[in-house]
Amino acid sequence: MSDVSVSVKNLDLNFGSVEVLKDLNLDIHHGEFLVLLGPSGCGKSTLLNCLAGLLDVSGGQIHISGKNVTWSEPKDRGIGMVFQSYALYPQMTVRGNLEFGLKNQKLPKDEIEKRVARAADILQIQELLNRKPAALSGGQRQRVAIGRALVRDVDVFLFDEPLSNLDAKLRSELRVELKRLHNQLANTMIYVTHDQIEALTLADRIAIMRGGYIQQLADPMTVYNKPSNLFVAGFIGSPAMSMIDGEIQNGGTSFSFKGHSVTLSGYEANGEVHDGKAILGVRPEHVSIESTAQAGKTLEATLDIIEPLGSNTLLWFNVDGVIISALVPSELSYKSGQTYHLGLDISKASLFDAASEQRL
Amino acid sequence: MKKELESLFIYSLVLALVSKIAIGLGLGKWAIKKFDLTPWMIEGLPWLFIALMAVCVYLLSRAGMNSKGTAQKGYSGYIIGWAIAALLCFVLWDFSDAFADLDIEFEFGESSLLLRFANYVGHGLLLLVTGLFAFGNILGLQTAAIFAIFTAAVVVIAQTREEDEPAGKIEKIIAQNIVAKIAAVPMIMTALGVFVGCTIWTIFYSFTKSGLLPKANFVGLDQYERLWDTSRWIISIKNLAIYGVCSMILSLLIGFILAALLDQKIRFENTFRTILLYPFALSFIVTGLVWQWILNPEFGIQKIVRDLGFESFTFDPLYNPDIVIFGILIAGLWQGTGLIMCLMLAGLRGIDEDIWKAARVDGIPMWKTYLKIVIPMMRPVFITTLVLIASGIVRVYDLVVAQTNGGPGISSEVPAKYVYDYMFGAQNLGQGFAASTVMLLAVLVIIIPWAYLEFGGRRQND
Ligand SMILES: Nc1ncnc2c1ncn2[C@@H]1O[C@H](COP(=O)(O)OP(=O)(O)OP(=O)(O)O)[C@@H](O)[C@H]1O
Ligand SMILES: [Mg+2]
Repeated sequence: MSDVSVSVKNLDLNFGSVEVLKDLNLDIHHGEFLVLLGPSGCGKSTLLNCLAGLLDVSGGQIHISGKNVTWSEPKDRGIGMVFQSYALYPQMTVRGNLEFGLKNQKLPKDEIEKRVARAADILQIQELLNRKPAALSGGQRQRVAIGRALVRDVDVFLFDEPLSNLDAKLRSELRVELKRLHNQLANTMIYVTHDQIEALTLADRIAIMRGGYIQQLADPMTVYNKPSNLFVAGFIGSPAMSMIDGEIQNGGTSFSFKGHSVTLSGYEANGEVHDGKAILGVRPEHVSIESTAQAGKTLEATLDIIEPLGSNTLLWFNVDGVIISALVPSELSYKSGQTYHLGLDISKASLFDAASEQRL
Repeated sequence: MKKELESLFIYSLVLALVSKIAIGLGLGKWAIKKFDLTPWMIEGLPWLFIALMAVCVYLLSRAGMNSKGTAQKGYSGYIIGWAIAALLCFVLWDFSDAFADLDIEFEFGESSLLLRFANYVGHGLLLLVTGLFAFGNILGLQTAAIFAIFTAAVVVIAQTREEDEPAGKIEKIIAQNIVAKIAAVPMIMTALGVFVGCTIWTIFYSFTKSGLLPKANFVGLDQYERLWDTSRWIISIKNLAIYGVCSMILSLLIGFILAALLDQKIRFENTFRTILLYPFALSFIVTGLVWQWILNPEFGIQKIVRDLGFESFTFDPLYNPDIVIFGILIAGLWQGTGLIMCLMLAGLRGIDEDIWKAARVDGIPMWKTYLKIVIPMMRPVFITTLVLIASGIVRVYDLVVAQTNGGPGISSEVPAKYVYDYMFGAQNLGQGFAASTVMLLAVLVIIIPWAYLEFGGRRQND
């Protein structure tokens, strides 16, 4: 168990009568980059604040580096935190921001200087040290904020949507830098975001949250390819997965909807698949356009809308009122209003039970 | 050439208005007397500038003689507008004179409102007509002339500007953003008239020996010498200094501490806020009377504590000349701290919650976070409250009147009361004006360096 850096056990958190986190369990390994992903209001920040000790939990325990810190002050938990709004102290210089906490801990002067120099070196903010936050760009401010966590010399970094206030280009730059930083420092990082690209690119594991519960906790590729339920499937992936309401028939061998039918051979089910109402989810890149019709493999579909995305083109098809989207290379040309034969790659599709919404 | 003419036109216009107003304020008569001038030298000044304007317009029309003149359509509207303004101005000026001359009751007796109004209008019109023919009203005539020449200038400019020529100065002034400018005029007039005009008027008459009525008989600095020789004024200043320093420090301190306590997400915050803000809804007079009772040795705190068994307890600030100003201070704080607290609370609420979290993660103790991070961030709020408190201090008057009326003796006098008493009680306007001018100076001495630091300094920083 020494591999576990942060461990959350049966965590409950209420704001008055509102239950935000319910019986939440989570183990995070040393040096792991864990991303908490979920829609707005699902409790990501709340969970992070509980870990940081900024909120008093209503029940359960939090262990960091083997110590029970459920009731410790934030400063004693061995964490550093970075906020969406940077939260720099505006009237202090960058150096002042980095030093303030350390000075308060009464660390020796040369130690403080060493740590500040190291952080400035890692984040390449040496030239900014004597400026005030107001004279920095958003990206530079966030770097300083990361530096403030860095100088604390802690095991666990907590990030609450650190890149959300930046424009798209800066965000992708800083994303790469964060990844590099993680490789360099090998600290545990817990990172809250609602941007799935950030989650997929940065994470060792992603915890997808909804309404205070963790829906799926897995590495990015598993989350993407084998979403554990309908919510995760719909939340992850852009352009989004097409969902087809239908029924499993013939002893779990075929899926039919609106009079069409596709065979389920090649689908890796979790267990045995029984007949009954179900939902088939197919990502646009797993829909192909075939030249000929094959019974049980292809669907007759009318092309509705064409959305060029640059390197690819997104095609929206209509199969008797069911919308299916397909991602094709942009060199190929298609005409809207025409009929095509769609092939679905069932081995990469996801099948969900209609009632429980769980993956089959 | 055109550019210079337009500039000259605008300067003449401004000078014409300024000289007109200065004469209207009575400066003209004073200058005539003082420098032994013949009256027409002064009274002719506005006319001189008006003539200059006219010449500019004429030359402008000559300069633009050869241009095709693409008269902009919108301009006819402006022209009509300015012409109406000229007429209105003349009429109103006559009207105001008419009203000033009227003794309403005498002229019209106890007639109905409508009838009276009709009489006003008729009377005004009559005056207008006679005025037009008799050229009786110089000021109205001048104003009308300025407007008329301005209208002419608009016509000329509209007629002579080429299509591709950039707009000149005059056009920029009258045609661009005209709606915003018109909307701003009343406010600018009020600001200039009330603030600048009245201030200058006050300072002006502080050099005279005006008694019951303002009269321009100058005595140099006599009023000021007398002022500083008066022990009542000296005591007023001392009291104000004590009251000011204590009230400034204590209001800020108590206001901030209360706000910080309320900011701890306590329950019943609204209730507390209302209770603490409630005194602010009371007038100073009521506050003063309330505290006069509370501090009264026979009925108030002293009596209560003595009844509890502490027989020798004395607390009668309002009856002790040495500490009476502190008795007033207590009432002032009770009344004013609620508002300061509310402002501070708003300031505290404006601080990003993440700053608090960051400080907690950094392990900064609460008091240090307030002192080193939050208070510096609340600088704008502090400045606002400082200005509010300071203006309250300088004006403090009614509180004193209600609590002690300056007593015992003259030990709780304040400058504002001095001004009021001399202006209206002692019928010595000159002395009152001198005192208020000193107060104004004192305020300026504080405000100007601060404003310079606040605004002048910042420009260099950014
Ligand atoms: N102080 C509070 N008092 C009451 N309810 C709160 C409080 N803070 C958060 N909540 C509620 O808790 C839930 C979770 O909030 P949280 O801030 O953790 O969401 P989030 O996942 O971080 O969302 P976002 O992506 O918008 O930041 C929300 O429904 C919110 O309304
Ligand atoms: Mg959040």
